[in-house]
Amino acid sequence: MDNSYDLIIIGGGPAGLSAAIYGGRAKLKTLVMYKGTIGGLVDTTREIVNYPGYIQVSGPDLMKDFKKHAEHFNVEFLKEEVTSVDFSGEDKIIKTKKGKELSAKAVIVGCGSEPRMLNIPGEKSLRGSGVAYCATCDAEFFEGEDVVVIGSGDQAIEEGMFITKYARKVTVIVLHDEGILDCNKISAERAFNNEKMEFIWNSTIEEVLGEDNVEGVKIKNLKTGTSSELTCQGVFFFVGMIPSTRFLKDSGLEMDNRGYIPVNESMETNLEGIYAIGDNRVKYLRQVASAVGDGATAAVAAERYIEELHHFNANILQNDKKTLLLFFNALVNESLEFSTLLEGLIGENGDEYKLVKVDLATKKSLAGKYGIEKAPTVVVLDKGVEIKRLDCCMDKEKLQSQLF
Amino acid sequence: MSLQQLNSNQFEEIIYDNAEACLVMFSRKDCHVCKQVAPMLEEMKPQYEGKFGFYYVDVEEDKNLFQRFSLKGVPQVLFFNDGEYQGKLAGKVEEEAIEEKIAEVLGA
Repeated sequence: MDNSYDLIIIGGGPAGLSAAIYGGRAKLKTLVMYKGTIGGLVDTTREIVNYPGYIQVSGPDLMKDFKKHAEHFNVEFLKEEVTSVDFSGEDKIIKTKKGKELSAKAVIVGCGSEPRMLNIPGEKSLRGSGVAYCATCDAEFFEGEDVVVIGSGDQAIEEGMFITKYARKVTVIVLHDEGILDCNKISAERAFNNEKMEFIWNSTIEEVLGEDNVEGVKIKNLKTGTSSELTCQGVFFFVGMIPSTRFLKDSGLEMDNRGYIPVNESMETNLEGIYAIGDNRVKYLRQVASAVGDGATAAVAAERYIEELHHFNANILQNDKKTLLLFFNALVNESLEFSTLLEGLIGENGDEYKLVKVDLATKKSLAGKYGIEKAPTVVVLDKGVEIKRLDCCMDKEKLQSQLF
Repeated sequence: MSLQQLNSNQFEEIIYDNAEACLVMFSRKDCHVCKQVAPMLEEMKPQYEGKFGFYYVDVEEDKNLFQRFSLKGVPQVLFFNDGEYQGKLAGKVEEEAIEEKIAEVLGA
């Protein structure tokens, strides 16, 4: 089938492209789905100076290299927005906005994040009329004018300095005490030395003022509780990012209250065959360098998972011998005792049956496939087809009579 | 299908002389949000063939046009009918919002 893949990666940023490179090299039929531009957030970054091997490179140039590398390993690309997913079965289903349906054995989620909104009055209604989120796009429109920047992270301070190329003055509204910025030290130093940059400390914005265009902002001092107004023609919001994972809300994928997906060190989510990487996962550092590691890890984990899946299908479902699938819970003693009993019984009675033990804690999709709710449960397969289930009693004779 | 670019003269001609019902996206080359909105408009265009025009203006090449509408940023999609400005949608707009606005402009 044309739309079925081994591995589908949702997101074309550095994490997704790295996963694609590893997936492609492992000879998995790999597809990268993306909306917007290849490179994600990095595509909007003018200058990157801390990605190993590149002393200085623009975001778009670096991402072009990533993409070229993935294409070298025959990775396919599809520019379409994913609107819903069904991760409940062995084949993971992905549906796009245009109604296309694709399937994959494993899915890696790395669809990045979007600017967080403050949701204050005027923010939405004056968007494009003075409210902005992208300095590269919009700084030039504020030639000779007064601009307010909200936030003090790397993005806020670096973009703020870029805006000073055009604006008369840039006033940065900072939550913290005087002198404290969230950004890196080099940028902070440069900002403090920039004549056009001013700072208002211990403050936030409660409203963007103006009818048709931005005319000012209402600033609230968090220490004194007092409000004041500042005249300006532009307001740039850099108050952090939120993960773009809303389309996964009903997928059964575990997320924290902000929409980040918790994973283990193999990038595995709570769902088997589904991985989360880069800015979509709970993590300490959000950089290209760390995104690349996530992508590589997830792709290798996915490759092993797919291999196990193939192995199961080829060796168990298509085995000539009868197979006993024993679903057990390693944490429950009764489960383990039963396992020992069954193993002994099969050993004593020649090689009529092959025993496959399945840990319920890690093989959730297999458990789901057979509708297993309690452990122990034994499913008897003949040439891959279920012929019966055993009454899992601890009485050896009773058990034996069900099998031989 | 790509959008036709308008310079100042063509803009005058299509919007005011011909009084065409249409939208004009104001964008610039290095704006990543524009790169998301443009392909969406390109895809919508054929459905409105002969009923509603789809154009774009590069704000770096035609500064006077964005100044005339006192725009503060890109992308912005401006709507026109009968030689009159009918409003705009700013930022990363959704297809549904564009469809609604077109229906509104055509219904007016």
